[in-house]
Amino acid sequence: MGQEDVWALNGVTLQVKKGEFVAIMGHSGSGKSTLLNVLGCLDVPTSGRYILDGTPVAGMNRAALARVRNQKIGFVFQSFNLLSRTTARENVELPMLYNPTAPRGKALHDRAEYLLEHVGLGDRMLHTPGQLSGGQQQRVAIARALMNNPPLLLADEPTGNLDSHASQEIMHYFRKLNEQGQTIVMVTHETDIAAYAKRKIVMRDGKVLP
Amino acid sequence: MNGMMIFKVALRALLRNKVRSILTALGIIVGIAAVIAVVAIGEGASTSMKAQISSMGDNMLIVFGGSMKKGGVHGGSGGFQTLMSEDGEAMSRDYPELIKAYTPLVRSGGQAIYQENNWATQIQGVTPTFVAVRKWDVASGVFFTDADLRAGARVCVVGQTIVDSLFNGQDPIGETFRVRNIPFKVLGVLSKKGTTSMGQDQDDIIIMPLTTVKRVLRRGSFNNVDQLLFSIYDMGQMAEAKRAMSDLLRQRHRLGPTVEDDFTIIDMTEISDMLTSVSSMMTILMAVVASISLLVGGIGIMNIMLVSVTERTREIGLRMAIGAAPVAILLQFLTEAAVLSTLGGVLGILLGVGGAYTVGDLNKWPIYVTPISVVISFGFSAFVGIFFGFYPALRASRLNPIDCLRYE
Ligand SMILES: Nc1ncnc2c1ncn2[C@@H]1O[C@H](COP(=O)(O)OP(=O)(O)O)[C@@H](O)[C@H]1O
Ligand SMILES: [Mg+2]
Repeated sequence: MGQEDVWALNGVTLQVKKGEFVAIMGHSGSGKSTLLNVLGCLDVPTSGRYILDGTPVAGMNRAALARVRNQKIGFVFQSFNLLSRTTARENVELPMLYNPTAPRGKALHDRAEYLLEHVGLGDRMLHTPGQLSGGQQQRVAIARALMNNPPLLLADEPTGNLDSHASQEIMHYFRKLNEQGQTIVMVTHETDIAAYAKRKIVMRDGKVLP
Repeated sequence: MNGMMIFKVALRALLRNKVRSILTALGIIVGIAAVIAVVAIGEGASTSMKAQISSMGDNMLIVFGGSMKKGGVHGGSGGFQTLMSEDGEAMSRDYPELIKAYTPLVRSGGQAIYQENNWATQIQGVTPTFVAVRKWDVASGVFFTDADLRAGARVCVVGQTIVDSLFNGQDPIGETFRVRNIPFKVLGVLSKKGTTSMGQDQDDIIIMPLTTVKRVLRRGSFNNVDQLLFSIYDMGQMAEAKRAMSDLLRQRHRLGPTVEDDFTIIDMTEISDMLTSVSSMMTILMAVVASISLLVGGIGIMNIMLVSVTERTREIGLRMAIGAAPVAILLQFLTEAAVLSTLGGVLGILLGVGGAYTVGDLNKWPIYVTPISVVISFGFSAFVGIFFGFYPALRASRLNPIDCLRYE
């Protein structure tokens, strides 16, 4: 209806192997977030195929996509997206509440506490986002993304809202995770942040530059 | 997410916004409280009314002079001088299988004087069978006898109020008081009946032999009586007894086929039914009013849930991104609405019961909280939450996670 079609992504072919740490770079509006959303099964491409962890994702309904996101994907957002007035531990536990096979009760708390300690917030379990700094909030979000032990961790400008010191910390942590075998795909437009990744992809106008 | 989890998440979301939750539930709270209180007061009134009516007599039929259709019965006093004591006697004689007991009744009144006290009260003249007809016996002393009746003796039994007011609460048996300067001796004190729901004190009464009232107080003008009181053997015979009575009275009063009745027969069960239907009508009326307030409460819940869905768009997006299926989002908001309205319902029930008992205490009204009204209120409040929460919850579940996450 009078609107122009936008090809947010066009002819993208990309393969990410297990254990990789990929940075997607490009100018604003080049399609980075859209690509990441497709990788994260939040968005479905109009045409084309996407195979995640050996499973073709095309044609799945909303409930099935939710299950894939829950079990195969961990998301880290630029703006953290923590539930306000909810403790760090409860925020971290959230993905497991939607995982029917996950443990409940004490085992759930234990896992959340283990991850919070792992990101260096062992003494902040019961703090709410309002009582945490930006860097700490992003670390809670990372712990949350790891809760269901997903094969793929996706981050859309994870340092975009952080000062350079906190950004460094987060990237160090990402690299540590990657060294432990975690596959990571991260969007950023900052070269020094992208430098932490092992592989860089540059996008322009919805295409991956060779 | 299992049921317990969904419930916990919903409860937590509500607790995060306590004030708003309470304000949202207020419509439900007030609606349910109103239903519970009104039903409790109404049921209390009708229960005590029924008890009073059955205390008036044993399957009682009352015949007044005059037709109900012609401008009503004027309290059965004077006015229509058509009923004779003999009418009742004929009835008892002709239908012994129906009539268990019978007494004619004449009414008078006057200022009773005892020492320095004086007290205006009503005086009824009856026969000793009054005790059986009205199931009303003396608590102390004796009732007057047939001999007193034949002799027109100046004796009486008095109600409890007379004891309190005229005799300062002292035992009046054997004492003599005066009405119009005529002395009457007290033989007994009637058992206490209490106040009717219309506020009439049934114990403010003096009962004398029929003959005494007629000859001494009413100076024997005519031979008519004001009322005929019958006690019927069985509830089921009421209609038959009324028909027989009507036929007999028309025949005895020589009323032609085109002439209206010059009497009115009242069946106490009829009055009881009438009062019950009035009170159940009131209950229905209040239930309608309460339903409207629940409807408003429900719309309030829907409104707040829609606001809540909009406000929490990013939260919805986040939950979907980390794996909440649409049905989980639907259930979360639906549960929130249901928990909100059900808690509102519970608070309303507590408030309604408390309110009813408080009002009852202040006004000395009987209160009866029916279990069914509590169960229905509870169920209805849950239903309101689910019904009005469904649309907002559905909207939440249909949101697109990317749009939600981008939402500012
Ligand atoms: N919901 C949408 N409707 C229309 N155009 C969109 C929508 N989302 C993104 N786009 C467009 O798609 C292109 C890529 O956007 P995005 O992936 O957000 O870029 P980046 O993250 O690289 O800044 C942009 O031109 C943007 O305007
Ligand atoms: Mg972007």
